[in-house]
Amino acid sequence: MPQNDSDIAALVGELHPVRPVNTGVMLAVSGVIMCTAMIAIVALAGARADLVAGAPDPMLLIRTGILALLGFGTAYSVLAMAKPSVGRSHNGWKTAIAAAMIFPVGGIIAAATGDNAYATAPVTAGMECLFYSLAGGSAAAVPMVMALRKGAPTSPLRAGWLVGVAAGGLGALAYNFHCPFDSLTYTGLYYTVVVGICAAAGRLIVPRLIRW
Amino acid sequence: MKASEDALRAFMVAAQSGDKAAYTALLTESGRWLARFFARKISPDAVDDLVQDTLMSVHRKLASYDPQRPYLPWLAAIARYRWVDRLRQSYKHEARTLDFDVETEGHEDVVAAKISIDRLLNQLPEKQASAIRLMKIEGHSVTETSARTGQSASSVKVNIHRGLKKLSALIESE
Repeated sequence: MPQNDSDIAALVGELHPVRPVNTGVMLAVSGVIMCTAMIAIVALAGARADLVAGAPDPMLLIRTGILALLGFGTAYSVLAMAKPSVGRSHNGWKTAIAAAMIFPVGGIIAAATGDNAYATAPVTAGMECLFYSLAGGSAAAVPMVMALRKGAPTSPLRAGWLVGVAAGGLGALAYNFHCPFDSLTYTGLYYTVVVGICAAAGRLIVPRLIRW
Repeated sequence: MKASEDALRAFMVAAQSGDKAAYTALLTESGRWLARFFARKISPDAVDDLVQDTLMSVHRKLASYDPQRPYLPWLAAIARYRWVDRLRQSYKHEARTLDFDVETEGHEDVVAAKISIDRLLNQLPEKQASAIRLMKIEGHSVTETSARTGQSASSVKVNIHRGLKKLSALIESE
């Protein structure tokens, strides 16, 4: 057993210097990937007209802020899970998700009161939203998964869910600068679907990659 | 003599830099600490294996330690994770009473209490905690656990399943 001198010696023999998981760098890498995705989407599909005109619609500003909080806030919690410690809280994601609930809840209320823009928006626009957001989110998830693999997350299932939520938030944030729709119903429907799909994919895929 | 938190932390920081002497001291002291940590929390014949598994995890996950934070709460998180993982395994062993003698003095200070396995178990509903204690820690059968707790056999199984799932989510909680 390792606690015997010979076994401890064997482990010591395998020792090599390690660099502690740097969650700040990994968060920055996710941010850079999100920005790269945003630039690619704008280059391929174009930027919003109000953004180009320098007069962004209030919905764009609100959506950007909430998606940034959801994406980066949840990613911060995910990365903290790579460095376990009894007594350490990783609950920032709860606040981020609570704030983002404004979109699905607001969307339902808006739809119930007559804003049915989601119904009139071309389905192709919705599919484009899903495609770009999921592609951007998948790329943004890579550094998070790498950090968790190097680290020691004690709750792989929760980490999987949260990687998905963070990736969905960052992917949607990147697409947001192209998305021409300001309807709360449209945002509540398609952006929620993006985050939901990413969360489910994270739950299914990530735990098996990070279990130790 | 037990190494202090500060000493263990210094050993760990040096070990991350590749200092083999510090790593030897760290593993030796951590092994002793873990033996006390797991005492009475798993069958006596499994303690050594669990200490071994945990030290292997420490070895593989050295990069997950944040040098800015205390060492023992990190080690406790690794240990709790391995302990819950071990409980999940469907092992069977003979029921036996936990009358073995393990030194636990000095392990009851405030910090140790906050990161202990008891603290973790106490966060479960009583039915789940008692089912896990009797069947997974003390090694009683389903029938014996059912008789002792007054729960039906199926309830014992359900409570263990739910309890272990909840323990997994609570590993880093105080």
